[in-house]
Amino acid sequence: MNFETPNIIPAIPEITLLSLACLILVVDLFVKQENRIITYLLSQASLLIVFLLTLFTFTTETQFTFSNTFVRDSMSDVLKLGVYISVFIVFLYAKDYLRQRDMFKGEFYVLGLFGVLGMMILISAHNLLTIYLGLELLSLSMYAMVAMQRNSKAGSEAAMKYFVLGAIASGMLLYGMSMIYGVTGSLDLAEISQKVAEVSDQKLTIFGMVFLIVGIAFKLGAVPFHMWVPDVYHGAPTSVTLYIASAPKIAAFAMLMRLLVDGLSSLQPHWQDILIILAIASMGIGNIVAIAQGNLKRMLAYSAISHVGFLLLGVLTGQQAGYAASMFYVLSYVLMSLGSFGMIVLLSRKGFEADNLADYKGLNERSPWAAFMMLIFMLSMAGVPPFLGFWAKFAVLKEVVAADSLLWLAVVAVIFSIIGAFYYLRMIKLMYFDKPEDTQAITADLDLKVALSTNSLMVLGLGLLPGGLMALCIAAIAH
Amino acid sequence: MPDNMQTIYIWIVLAPLIGSIIAGLFGKKVGRAGAHWVTIIGVGVSCVLSIIVFKHMVFDGADPFNGSVYTWLVSDGVKFEIGFLIDKLSAMMMVVVTFVSLMVHIYTIGYMHGDPGYQRFFSYISLFTFSMLMLVMSNNFMQLFFGWEAVGLISYLLIGFWFKKETAIYANMKAFLVNRVGDFGFLLGIAGVLMYFGTLDYATVFANTDSVVGKTIQIIPGSDWSVLTLICICLFIGAMGKSAQVPLHVWLPDSMEGPTPISALIHAATMVTAGIYMVARMSPLFELSETALSFVIVIGAITALFMGLLGLVQNDIKRVVAYSTLSQLGYMTVALGASAYAAGIFHLMTHAFFKALLFLAAGSVIIAMHHEQDMRKMGGLRKYMPITWITSLIGSLALIGAPGFAGFFSKDSIIEAVGLSTIPGSGFAYFAVLGGVFVTALYSFRMYFLVFHGKERMDEHTRSHLHEPSWVVTVPLILLAIPSVIIGFIFVSDMSFGNFFGDAIKVLPQHDVLGQLAENYHGPFGMILHSLVTWPFWLALAGVATAWFLYMKRPDIPGMIQDKLKFVHKVLDNKYYVDRFNEIVFAGGSRFLGKLLWQNGDVRVIDGVIINGSAKTVGWIAGIVRRLQTGYLYNYAFAMIFGLLFLLGVFVLA
Amino acid sequence: MGIEQFIFYFFALVMVASATMVITVRNPVQAALFLVLTFFSCAIIWMVLEAEFLAIVLVLVYVGAVMVLFLFVVMMLDINIDRMREGFIRYLPFGVLVGLLMAGMLISVVGSVNFGLDKFAEPARHAADYNNTRELGLVLYTKYVYPFEIAAVILLVAIVAAIALTLRRRPTTKYQKPEEQIAVKRDDRIRLVSMNSEKKK
Repeated sequence: MNFETPNIIPAIPEITLLSLACLILVVDLFVKQENRIITYLLSQASLLIVFLLTLFTFTTETQFTFSNTFVRDSMSDVLKLGVYISVFIVFLYAKDYLRQRDMFKGEFYVLGLFGVLGMMILISAHNLLTIYLGLELLSLSMYAMVAMQRNSKAGSEAAMKYFVLGAIASGMLLYGMSMIYGVTGSLDLAEISQKVAEVSDQKLTIFGMVFLIVGIAFKLGAVPFHMWVPDVYHGAPTSVTLYIASAPKIAAFAMLMRLLVDGLSSLQPHWQDILIILAIASMGIGNIVAIAQGNLKRMLAYSAISHVGFLLLGVLTGQQAGYAASMFYVLSYVLMSLGSFGMIVLLSRKGFEADNLADYKGLNERSPWAAFMMLIFMLSMAGVPPFLGFWAKFAVLKEVVAADSLLWLAVVAVIFSIIGAFYYLRMIKLMYFDKPEDTQAITADLDLKVALSTNSLMVLGLGLLPGGLMALCIAAIAH
Repeated sequence: MPDNMQTIYIWIVLAPLIGSIIAGLFGKKVGRAGAHWVTIIGVGVSCVLSIIVFKHMVFDGADPFNGSVYTWLVSDGVKFEIGFLIDKLSAMMMVVVTFVSLMVHIYTIGYMHGDPGYQRFFSYISLFTFSMLMLVMSNNFMQLFFGWEAVGLISYLLIGFWFKKETAIYANMKAFLVNRVGDFGFLLGIAGVLMYFGTLDYATVFANTDSVVGKTIQIIPGSDWSVLTLICICLFIGAMGKSAQVPLHVWLPDSMEGPTPISALIHAATMVTAGIYMVARMSPLFELSETALSFVIVIGAITALFMGLLGLVQNDIKRVVAYSTLSQLGYMTVALGASAYAAGIFHLMTHAFFKALLFLAAGSVIIAMHHEQDMRKMGGLRKYMPITWITSLIGSLALIGAPGFAGFFSKDSIIEAVGLSTIPGSGFAYFAVLGGVFVTALYSFRMYFLVFHGKERMDEHTRSHLHEPSWVVTVPLILLAIPSVIIGFIFVSDMSFGNFFGDAIKVLPQHDVLGQLAENYHGPFGMILHSLVTWPFWLALAGVATAWFLYMKRPDIPGMIQDKLKFVHKVLDNKYYVDRFNEIVFAGGSRFLGKLLWQNGDVRVIDGVIINGSAKTVGWIAGIVRRLQTGYLYNYAFAMIFGLLFLLGVFVLA
Repeated sequence: MGIEQFIFYFFALVMVASATMVITVRNPVQAALFLVLTFFSCAIIWMVLEAEFLAIVLVLVYVGAVMVLFLFVVMMLDINIDRMREGFIRYLPFGVLVGLLMAGMLISVVGSVNFGLDKFAEPARHAADYNNTRELGLVLYTKYVYPFEIAAVILLVAIVAAIALTLRRRPTTKYQKPEEQIAVKRDDRIRLVSMNSEKKK
């Protein structure tokens, strides 16, 4: 058997990150607790390094390697850059939070970096095996991170639920993959795509596809596979919630694109219908149940579910422009989500979690700038112009309207987003019109404040000038 | 240079915005001094840059700039964008706005000294400056409307700045509601423009007026309305709200409940003139509708005369100035109606300076009098406050149009232009503006004599503390007094009778009254000399003399007149019962109607079924669905299995 | 029915039956043992499929290592079976219904109608000396080297996670610290306190 050494150049960022993560794992052993900041700095440096590596080797053509199990194209590069940035922000936001709770340990960062590696693998997967393994790598890291606060009952419970449900979901995903393999005899997405198009009776492939979609929907947190989302968001330490609520959404979007668009494009009419059901259910359940929440983390979890519904809208059109709109949506959502969970971190302090809605009463009197930032995030999530969230919704809805006979779906989406606006606006009402209950001064390190301010201004700035990001997404999908 | 100009335009609007954001959001951090420094620097930068732009436009004779800076949204071919139209008209407005704003910023340090809302106040006035600049620099209706609403909102916030004062809350609510009426018309006008021109861009609209001339619309079946007339009248209704023309004037006197710097900046110099500016900007539209011009001139004339009369019976020093503002706004409106747009804008500019001066001087008096505003408790102040006294005198002379002062040139241009105008209603307007001259002189000098001359009627405690306020108050007074004297002299040749504004203002040849006047115009000195044989000069003189006689020589007479003409006084004192009328007919009527609709329509149908019904339904569903989230793992797993089964059932078996 | 079919159906039946027992028996030790049986039957079926290496690995790893560990854990913990089984009966009908539906659906799709020999040709049988292990090794380190490496990383993460979650130093536990014991000085051990003498009451 001939063996050619695979071309590892396209996978340089992955390889680098793996090496660096292992290095940090070892270095961390020799670092005393009071010097743990070294681990933090090294982790951030690693992210920076892979960011630069990916940026400087940015590709506009599609490259395959490792016997076609690995693909690198513009979409993967843009999404990976998004992942690096969001995890970088997560680490930054989480630093003080972890410190105050005696959770400032190397494992958080090592697991976080391995999670990033999992996302990168998932984003660059071109084979059912790599998709599955990337997903497992990511999930395993996240399960452990959720459980990291060992003395917290809620954390352990959340980890347990997440783990068991995640195992069921990956079981289903694997089953679906086996079906697809059974029909096509291949694990390679390109070959699958080609063979599925030739099959006359699609019953089996659809059967397998439903299982695949269940796996993806679980990862995205789409109804009815969303049950873990509120419990895990709520139970996990906010630093971990930050992580779970941001970058993995990008990876899940990539997984959706790889499996359905790259692998099963000929089944588009079929998966379109499934995604419509998931989208409507997600927007409906997410927006309505969020109203009944008294806990901000849970509220944001339901809001995440509703945003996933919107995200699906773009993909289900089956058009390039729709994919680009969804990509824009996911990147925007991650930015807003980071900001809003970052606000919880900002307002929390040792022994106090600012995760109840009541904790935000009269925030404007305590800190006008904090209230203003939260205002930006809430309005943006509600889709109010001129913030970024408006453009995300606008882009997706535009594509839905442009698609044939889907106008009704756009109307449904608008109705649900109006219902959703209620709980975002209630938050604003609490901040600006109620009397504060908590009078403690808000203290935070400068880097957190600066980062959070930058984050909020980006949501505003990109809302004012959305053209660049939009063009980037369109170009990334087109290549 | 032209490459940099666009950057300069952007910074002109951004500088006050940045200052405002810093003072507003980080007020506690930067402290009181930080707040005023940062906003003053912001507005100062903006002012200097505006002057550069003005020089560039006027003295270097650059071409007007019209371009969009940022496209926000394109929907169905209609662009919503932020763009600047910089020509001589907007350049002049920018200088006026930023200069007066800068003076007011400095003055505020003294006036608001010790107020707990110090930073908030600076943040608001800087934000106001930003919004006003966006309004005047706009090149499209969208941005104009944005600026329009933004200045309205900030005016609302500032009138109610002392929100613990009951009357202030009442006043700002009133201002808000009355302005809503105007804005409704304005929005209808903009909608009309969008409907018939298909664009919101000024240049495109003005270039396509031909296509709309002669089009009619049937609002009430059977009667044809000219579309242009309708659009113009709708837009003018917006201007009536903002520029406080009868009958939408009622909010302006009450707005004096706000701090005095606001009265000077917003309710005298800038915001209230936005309506005038807007109509002048829309001159290519207004010119094409004689009906609309007639409407404008009549409304302006009524405002000019009758609001002046009200100034005669006021005892609150700020209210006198407020009524004088109303009356002067009437003059500007009359000028617009007579197609003498340039004269109207010219008066707008001179008025901005001398009226801001008068307000700030009044504020200075109020500070010295420990926030006492009743003129009957003043008198003889000139001994204690020489700078305020002199600057007030200059302001008053400018206001009554004493030959040589700023107000003289602009006001005389208007009066003569109206005299020549042939628009229906111009005869009445001519009478009104002439009568207004006498009235203006009378109330101005009544105030002047009551405050600065005569017996000292204040109590002993106040008298012992009377002194000129600190330099932050007096310097703006002096700086505003200078243009109040000379600005008219400098610009009259160009603005009133030259083609200063170029293409920014369009006048049809048959309406060009200023052009006719220009033929007999022989420079500012000629104008001064000529005025000595015309009515306005003698009327003004008569007004001053009457004031002197009534309030200096024989102070007992006003009381007698009041007794004799009880009825007239009562009418004036009650401001022609407009407020009462509004309260009973509009407020009462709408309350009645509202109650009727509320009880039958809202409560039963909309609230009961639609709003509460849907809110309840949503809440109810939320409660139910929330219970699905039991927290039990097997429930969750079951939900997933069920979801899978459902999808399989629907898509595989079906 | 040839011997192959017999072996397949027999062990398939055993596998399904023992899998059912895993979730129905009351005693967790018995459940674990049934799981061993399930794995074993599965290994036999793989053997029939000529996947000898995988079958042996399944027995060695799952039966030999994982399940033994599992049994240890189960026996060390005192699990209250009855509490865990609360609601079992209550949800049983529903669960059975869903299970039957699921099974019905699977059979209708996965059955011979769709996967019969007429649809998919019988895979070629390999010669007796065909080396399954070698073939697996060849693709594992060439074609599938990337997934293989990822699997290794997953194991690493599993180790890290397991240690991070279970390793804990209790502050109350007393350790011997030889380096400190050696470095101790006289003053560390004895503290001389001068006191005034007191009278007993």
